[in-house]
Amino acid sequence: MAEVQEHDSGKKKKGAQKKMTIRVDFTPMVDMNMLLITFFMLCTTMIKSQTLQLTLPTNEKVQKEQQNQAKKSEALTLILDTEYTDNNLPKTDEATGKTVHNVYWFAGLPDTTFQTNLLAKESFMGDTKENGVKVQQGIRKILREQNKDVMTNYDELKAQWKNREISKETFDSLAKKNAADSTLTRPVVIIKPGPNTTYEALINALDEMQINQIARYSIQLPTHTDTLLLENYQQRTGETVIRPTVRKSVVY
Amino acid sequence: MGKVKIKKKSTFIDMTAMSDVTVLLLTFFMLTSTFLQKEPTIVYTPSSVSEEKVPVSNLVTILISSADKGKVPEGKDATEAEGKIFISFSGGMDSTQVAPVIRGKMLDEALKVYNAQAKDSKKIALTDAQKKVFQETNMLGTSFEYLPELLSKSLTEIDKEQGDMYNPNTGIPIDGNKDKNGHLNDFQIWCRAIYTVSKELHDNMATDMGLTVDEAKTLGDLYNAITKDGTGIAIKADKDTPFTTVETVFDNLQTMSLNKFSLMTALTSEEEAAPAKH
Repeated sequence: MAEVQEHDSGKKKKGAQKKMTIRVDFTPMVDMNMLLITFFMLCTTMIKSQTLQLTLPTNEKVQKEQQNQAKKSEALTLILDTEYTDNNLPKTDEATGKTVHNVYWFAGLPDTTFQTNLLAKESFMGDTKENGVKVQQGIRKILREQNKDVMTNYDELKAQWKNREISKETFDSLAKKNAADSTLTRPVVIIKPGPNTTYEALINALDEMQINQIARYSIQLPTHTDTLLLENYQQRTGETVIRPTVRKSVVY
Repeated sequence: MGKVKIKKKSTFIDMTAMSDVTVLLLTFFMLTSTFLQKEPTIVYTPSSVSEEKVPVSNLVTILISSADKGKVPEGKDATEAEGKIFISFSGGMDSTQVAPVIRGKMLDEALKVYNAQAKDSKKIALTDAQKKVFQETNMLGTSFEYLPELLSKSLTEIDKEQGDMYNPNTGIPIDGNKDKNGHLNDFQIWCRAIYTVSKELHDNMATDMGLTVDEAKTLGDLYNAITKDGTGIAIKADKDTPFTTVETVFDNLQTMSLNKFSLMTALTSEEEAAPAKH
């Protein structure tokens, strides 16, 4: 292909015409192209970042009556915490290489007499498979249990979508409706990131809300009551839960 | 019986086909590539199951720097580099809304708000050349007071200075002001400017096209993105950034009534749905 046949003018011995082939060596061209490809491959962002939508309430003063008070039976509080190493860096789990985030949770209202609704410790864990069936673990299992009315419907919808009975759009809108269905028993989750929490822990918690189709949740800062509950947990289990704030916090 | 002739074979490999392939690949990459926007610092976003894509246009990105994981200068603490705030804006796909133009408008608006509340000695004015430099930079994070000095420098110098997280002039100042009508901090001034400019553009576009208020709502512009869908403002923070740092930004946005926004994440599956490996 890259050859051009040319007739020699035949000034050589015997006067015979000799066919000469001119070959163009494409190797440097390929080399250069490869370099360019490498450059473009490294410079491009093929995978686009994802986003997570978040709507927070305004800071404007809201009247007491207008405030949504979570019902005692529906409330579920998650207190987040990230463990740090002595080097002031988030601690990673050696087996998985993931940052260690703890979730302390209780259902209902906090009980400062420490009789009921005590804190329990969980962590963010992905799903596993047991005999081919998806099994939830960690905090996801608890949230799923709390939101089981919605999740049962959601799983049905998902199965319909997987079997191509409904389109993705229909599935999305039905799932949204289902998550917001006030006739079902749905929890109100209060996410409380502690002073040592990293941004990742918050994203993990918001992710769990999405996975478990929890439509009502809020992000709040921990209160004194939460500290008391953590202290109680510390006394009960002997674990060190309350650690000094290791990172500088932003001055308010 | 004839002799076995050993044919001399040329080792020349025809590279034409190879060249064709590489050119095709090259064309593909050139056409599909969108260049990484230059950012003053690198952050590793946490992973999430959310599948919503970051919009290409009409996006205000708020970057929050993370603690320095590289070489820390002597006598400095790695966390000092944390929590510096930068704002960038990428314009609409529509050719009438070119990003630098809107950026220029935002700057004018922000200066107006700043000068209205600043003391006489602290009021600032920018020359056209300085404004031009601002329009050309993708992402900036500095106080208004330092802005004239920074914008007098060349683009390379600005890049270098903005990339230094230990520089006290790097990052937009932010504090806990909760009064929308009170003395705004620099970050809130930018928020106000972004809101005002996007609303102005939205209203102008609606009148230009002769649309009613209801019809105008469907315009896919920044104003709708920040007030309605929450896709207009994206917060980009490192996964190891303390929540308190991010919370300050949330709080300031809430104060400015920009309480719908998105958080930039990387995709993960539900099975994993937990932090990615380091």
